[in-house]
Amino acid sequence: MANKSIKKDQVKGLLDKLAESNQLIAPIQSEGITLFKPVKSGEGVVLDCQNALVPPKDFFFPQSEKMFTYDISDPSWAITPVEGVPNRVLFGARPCDVKSILLLDKVFDAEFRDDYYLDKRNKTTIVALSCNDARHTCFCGAFGISPGEAEGADILLTDLGDRYLAEVLTEKGEALVSSCANLFTDDDGNGPAAKEKAVAPAKEKQMQISLEGVKEKLDNMFDHPIWDTESLRCIGCGTCTFVCPTCHCFDIVDFNNQSSIGYRYRCADSCQFANFTRAAGGHQPRPTKKERIRQRFLHKLRYFVDRYGDFGCVGCGRCLEKCPVNLDIAQIINKVKEVG
Amino acid sequence: MNNVTENLRKTAAKLLQDQEVKMVIGYGAGSEAVRTQPLFITSPEDAEKLVWNPFCVNGLTKYLSDLKGFDGKIAVVVKGCDSRGIYRLTQDNIVSRDQVVVLGIPCAGQMSYQKLAAKMDVSGQLTDVEEKGENLEIKTSKGNFTVKKSEVLLDKCALCENHNPVVADHLIGDKLDIAPKPDDYEEIKKYEAMSTEEKAKFWLSQFERCIRCYACRNTCPGCTCRECVFDTIKPDWVGKEINVSENELFHLTRAMHLAGRCVDCGECDRVCPMDIPIRLLNKKLLKDCKELFEMATPGSSEEGGSVLGQYRLEDPEEFM
Repeated sequence: MANKSIKKDQVKGLLDKLAESNQLIAPIQSEGITLFKPVKSGEGVVLDCQNALVPPKDFFFPQSEKMFTYDISDPSWAITPVEGVPNRVLFGARPCDVKSILLLDKVFDAEFRDDYYLDKRNKTTIVALSCNDARHTCFCGAFGISPGEAEGADILLTDLGDRYLAEVLTEKGEALVSSCANLFTDDDGNGPAAKEKAVAPAKEKQMQISLEGVKEKLDNMFDHPIWDTESLRCIGCGTCTFVCPTCHCFDIVDFNNQSSIGYRYRCADSCQFANFTRAAGGHQPRPTKKERIRQRFLHKLRYFVDRYGDFGCVGCGRCLEKCPVNLDIAQIINKVKEVG
Repeated sequence: MNNVTENLRKTAAKLLQDQEVKMVIGYGAGSEAVRTQPLFITSPEDAEKLVWNPFCVNGLTKYLSDLKGFDGKIAVVVKGCDSRGIYRLTQDNIVSRDQVVVLGIPCAGQMSYQKLAAKMDVSGQLTDVEEKGENLEIKTSKGNFTVKKSEVLLDKCALCENHNPVVADHLIGDKLDIAPKPDDYEEIKKYEAMSTEEKAKFWLSQFERCIRCYACRNTCPGCTCRECVFDTIKPDWVGKEINVSENELFHLTRAMHLAGRCVDCGECDRVCPMDIPIRLLNKKLLKDCKELFEMATPGSSEEGGSVLGQYRLEDPEEFM
């Protein structure tokens, strides 16, 4: 489909329309905090803001998710699966977060197909939003991500001042535009050039980090003393993993409140927690913070590459901004390049 | 380099050189201009990496608990607020006073990374920072910036009780003669005046955001249980599920476990990635304990302990 354009004053109408027949998920601000939330209309949706405090990952891989209910007093255990989600539109996801969803696909849509994830993934149309500015912690370029591209999204919007350029990337995107055709106009042909100009500050302002040789170097750094020194200041909280758009480890737990009826849920778990790898009998293969932070950095920068051919980080910068002790993955990358 | 940094480096190097301590915990340069990071050094040569500036926000005393069993004495840098954490740890028998060398630094207030990042480009490296009257002149590799101190001060520092550390084996820098501003709890009174429904509405909307990273617990010098109730798998007092009800149970339990013990260092509040005003809960408990038991802020003196773990004949008992 040819490039489209939508005037800024039409966006609320678009969101209102989308919310009529979909669950609409969009960034809203409350008490100065931006978060993706399900909304009933375009009211309160903010697009000219920095990226959300936590990624929209939660709408594909919720931090907690009920899997099924059961009643063990029933001879067949009465296992009842939970209902899937309705059709949804994720609106305003940034290029880094869109890329993270492609990375999660590699995990959840692989040899083992995770129905819980795929139900949400398949029923969601992603309308991405280019970045016109970068935060001081952004470094998506290091991973080959551009603030003005969003492979994996269905539509990519770019703020061009009075209007958004709408690049329709997939059939799902075409369907969305067709359903609201009166709100879009054909782009006048200047869109792509204007887009390059609009996203240039985001490219220039972000941290310029090169990953050249980092993976190869990490291949031989499992026993390097860097993990001893860097782990000392870690306080073992789960902030980095829970604000991360690509972290996907989870635990499965039954909740039954001492009765025969209960439900099984899964919830995000953190490799930084002391009991994350604790096995029955008490064996702990990652007994100290050293093994735990090494796992986190090697998972992102080495194991994920080995397994899926891509880095497990998108440079969104959330973990480095939020880490209470300034354990900064961009700084770690630079240190890895420097150490002998 | 400021005098305090110079003195700190000298003192740290000498302590390590003389083998009086085997480790010094202080602050080193951070990855961005207005950040520092906790630094652990074990050789006198590394003392050059220590820094002191208005961005030394972290409390470092909790690391003493992590390093329990470390072979040798540890010196730790404390500000006034953090210094109360030293007595928290000794009163709780987590560390023994004779195993710690306290390097106390008088502190006029620390600056918030979040507030600074909203006002200036923080992405460079710090080259110099100077206090000039009401302003802070911050020189970085990305340019020089002048900010008004009062606009970027950590909230907690506006009501500082101890600009000078309550304990210091070595006082680095001159004592500050700033009158302490004891908290009059105006903010807490605002919440106390709310109806139960209003309070519930406010707090549940805050707890709803919690991602249960446990940073507030992990940074707290009062949270030193051998096995935390929130980590216990059997019985699972608090489920791992993230929902407002479990989150509420977590926050209220965490706060109550610190009633009469919280040293009001404000670290829980600073580290929260979701900007939940955790300190308000602790403040309310502090206010209640102070009013009921004429308690000083915990950790203010060597003697003490937990006011709720003690009994005095004159304790109020209106509820009995």
